[in-house]
Amino acid sequence: MVKVEICVGSHCSLVGALNILETLEELQEEYPDQLKIERVECMDRCGDIKNAPVVKVDDDLITSAQTQMVISKVMERIK
Amino acid sequence: MSKLKGIYTDIVKIRRMVFAELARLALKDAECEEFDKIPYRIIDTEEATYRSSIFKERAIVAARVRMGLGMDYETNQEHKLLSEGIRDFLKNDNQLKEPLVNVIRFACEKCPTNAHFVTNNCRKCLAHPCSIVCPVDAITIEEHAAVIDQEKCINCGKCKEACPYEAIVNYERPCAAACGVDAIESDDYDRAKINQDKCVSCGQCIIACPFGAIADKSMIFQLLKSIKRGEDVRAIIAPSFVGQFGPLVSAEKIVAALKELGMKEVREVSLGADFASLHEAELFAEDIPEKQPYLGTSCCPSWTYVADKHVPEVKDNISESSSPMIFAAQSVKENNEDSKVVFIGPCVSKKLEALSDKVKEEVDFVITFEELAAIFVAADIELTKVDAEEEIRDASYYGRAYANAGGVAEAIRQNLKEKYNINPPITKADGLADCKKTLIKAKAGVLDGHLIEGMACEGGCVGGPGTLLATKRGAKYVDKFAGESPYKFAFENEKLNKKEKKE
Ligand code: SF4
Ligand code: SF4
Ligand code: FES
Repeated sequence: MVKVEICVGSHCSLVGALNILETLEELQEEYPDQLKIERVECMDRCGDIKNAPVVKVDDDLITSAQTQMVISKVMERIK
Repeated sequence: MSKLKGIYTDIVKIRRMVFAELARLALKDAECEEFDKIPYRIIDTEEATYRSSIFKERAIVAARVRMGLGMDYETNQEHKLLSEGIRDFLKNDNQLKEPLVNVIRFACEKCPTNAHFVTNNCRKCLAHPCSIVCPVDAITIEEHAAVIDQEKCINCGKCKEACPYEAIVNYERPCAAACGVDAIESDDYDRAKINQDKCVSCGQCIIACPFGAIADKSMIFQLLKSIKRGEDVRAIIAPSFVGQFGPLVSAEKIVAALKELGMKEVREVSLGADFASLHEAELFAEDIPEKQPYLGTSCCPSWTYVADKHVPEVKDNISESSSPMIFAAQSVKENNEDSKVVFIGPCVSKKLEALSDKVKEEVDFVITFEELAAIFVAADIELTKVDAEEEIRDASYYGRAYANAGGVAEAIRQNLKEKYNINPPITKADGLADCKKTLIKAKAGVLDGHLIEGMACEGGCVGGPGTLLATKRGAKYVDKFAGESPYKFAFENEKLNKKEKKE
């Protein structure tokens, strides 16, 4: 089981977190038992907005996250 | 719907960063010189990332800054610091003026208009059916592949159908394809140019251009300055707002955050929708078919502009009733004469509606959800962590459902059924091209007796260019929020009855 924490605070949402979340949720429909998504409040890493969006895949923290980065990290672990 | 709607690209990022920068400077009462730094703050690399040169990238950001302040598009023929122009603008009336939607001409990459191309899938096959089926003899078989003579090509598409290797593709200019009223033409340099006599300011081309060459103007700066001056600013927020700021941010939190930003009061525009749906039901019951053959709804400004500019014969049959925005604004100003009202919505063309003589007095500013999200970031308001106290319950189920395609007509129909025992046939125009088609049908008399709903954005207001969510997601949130309303029908809305009784 891969656990993804995705920040959906103000900064992260402005710069694409909602779109990453959408793709993650689509992925979850394909792998319902292998992927757990947690939407979390501001993780306090957005002092510099360049670090947003912030996503955690298990213990791996990704800053300036982009959809393809997050999805490939998740897929690596699902396999 | 444009393929780019709902996808987060670098264009979206740059647009939002410009909004956030403008908000930041407004909030800190920055000196004019600070504006000159925005292009450098946003494009902070050593070399170009997106275009031929980093100077061009910055010039485009500068053009976005100007428009973000509500200023006109300017050619780059004259030497002038960004801040100089801004100083003059802010000193004078600093009001946004038409045209609202503009092509940043030097950002346009001159996409070919509707053309057929041979890709390298072409195997230069022996049969070459493409050249055989071409009715104008535009295809020759050259050394490596088939070649289409663009001068001769009439875009009939026969070669594309005939090719066994799918080697021929057809593409339209993305901006022009998104424009349902064919307002996008070309200038002398083959760059896109908006014919303002045809444009209805729907904003779909802004989303559709893959080079980010089209932008609208904004009132972010003027709004924040007004709040900073301590003016009594009150917000009315359009029904599609729920969910737009993320899954952890409830409607109540959005309201609380707006208050933290300095708004004295926040009301749902759906309250105005309840009022409008009752008003339009009354019009329908009284006038159809005796005084007019059918009734078009009034709430989407682009839809009404399609009637004005493209099918003027039907104009009188589009409801004269005010839009939900106007009703909601009036309900605020009724009790607070000196207040300023900001409409927050998914919509670009509402900015224009608010400039009209009829509405100027009622609505002072219009901003989009996207612009508001950037303001929250600039103001450092963390939406997931604000405390929400009060519930909002301004509107009925059907008023809140106005944001989804079909919602407006349904709300009016429910009123007609319940109050007048009328159940009219309904026609829905979904998307700009459909709006025009529907109005042409109406003109021909095919839709007599109908209640006609027009929405320039596909999917309704949740599909608006100022949203942050993909259309389908937004629609789900709207449904859910509507279900939580304390009232089902508009006429059950207690807040409204109070207002009606007064009149
Ligand atoms: S899609 Fe954009 S780049 Fe292409 S012609 Fe239209 S405005 Fe220019
Ligand atoms: S009508 Fe809409 S899509 Fe067409 S040019 Fe105007 S804003 Fe762009
Ligand atoms: S909003 Fe994501 S870290 Fe602050």
